[in-house]
Amino acid sequence: MAVIVCHGLKGGAGITFAAAHLAMTLSEAGAEVTVLSVAQRDTLPLHFGLQPALTLPSLFAPAEDAVLASGINLRSHIKAVDDADFVPTLHDLGYLEPGPDRVMVIDVPASEFAFARRIIPHSSANLCVLNAAPDTLALLPQVLDESSAQTIARTTFAINALDETRRLSRHSAAFIRELVGPRLIGRIRLDEAVPEAIAMLQPLARYAPSSAALADVRAIGAAMVPALETAGRPWVARGELAAPSSSRAA
Amino acid sequence: MRIDARHLLDRLGKNDFAYKEFEDRFTELELWPILEALLRDPRLQAIDAVETAAPEPVVSEAVGTHAPEPLNALFSRYGREPAAPSDAAAERRGVQTQDVRAMLRHLSDLGSRGEI
Repeated sequence: MAVIVCHGLKGGAGITFAAAHLAMTLSEAGAEVTVLSVAQRDTLPLHFGLQPALTLPSLFAPAEDAVLASGINLRSHIKAVDDADFVPTLHDLGYLEPGPDRVMVIDVPASEFAFARRIIPHSSANLCVLNAAPDTLALLPQVLDESSAQTIARTTFAINALDETRRLSRHSAAFIRELVGPRLIGRIRLDEAVPEAIAMLQPLARYAPSSAALADVRAIGAAMVPALETAGRPWVARGELAAPSSSRAA
Repeated sequence: MRIDARHLLDRLGKNDFAYKEFEDRFTELELWPILEALLRDPRLQAIDAVETAAPEPVVSEAVGTHAPEPLNALFSRYGREPAAPSDAAAERRGVQTQDVRAMLRHLSDLGSRGEI
């Protein structure tokens, strides 16, 4: 009954995309997965090929109101960010304990960093999604300075929308890699198929099964699986990992 | 993906394109003052302080092929002594004069080996 937090330094990094596909990968690995969105403006359903007008049911709504996509339970709890009892509530629901069978992925917008700091120390892992861009790099010192040791210990990084054909992107990715070392669990190549799938109201796996970004994000999801049983440091126990960064994709 | 690109990939038996890698020259890597500014920020040492407090077992590398090493060790290669494990907080505030040029040279080396 593990909780994995998806968060990021800056809006637009692809946190929701990563959360959705992490959930799909964990579900395909056999877990019963719930994705919880705490965003006021929610785009989570789009990554599952659902209609933009869809409103996700509350975390506490009855089972008959559930929205299931690919077997994944999609829920919303906007008030969680202001709810001082949210962590005890998760405990009551049976979460916050390591285990591979039942997982909650919480999609936390970058702006809700205070909420993230509150929940991450109780989670099994935090996937920090960031772009290899100078404005994102500039935020790293402040974010690290504000983070507790417990938060940093649970944090794994993933670079999203990496355009390796661009020099600055490559240099920025190299800087991140040098900074965070083994905590960088993978990178997701920039892929036009991601927005195209949303526009087609289809899951990425259906619209573009050979998508480079899909392969990358699946590898990251697989690398996060050990965190379900060994809370805190998914990079310690992982085995087969993301594709080498030396490959360049369109 | 455009249909003509899809047909080309099908003919090549590939799922995506692979661009030719070009070496990043050291002089080009020096063009980014933001990297130098960040390397001089002691707050980046926070990530290393956690590693010092809770050493990790040796792990396989996910993205790059170079061996992971603590940030303060990285800096120490460029002209400073390694930080004392028990003095991580003081080290965070004290690291002001890293050899940024050597750090960038290291990045250039990674690029020349195709690891960037």
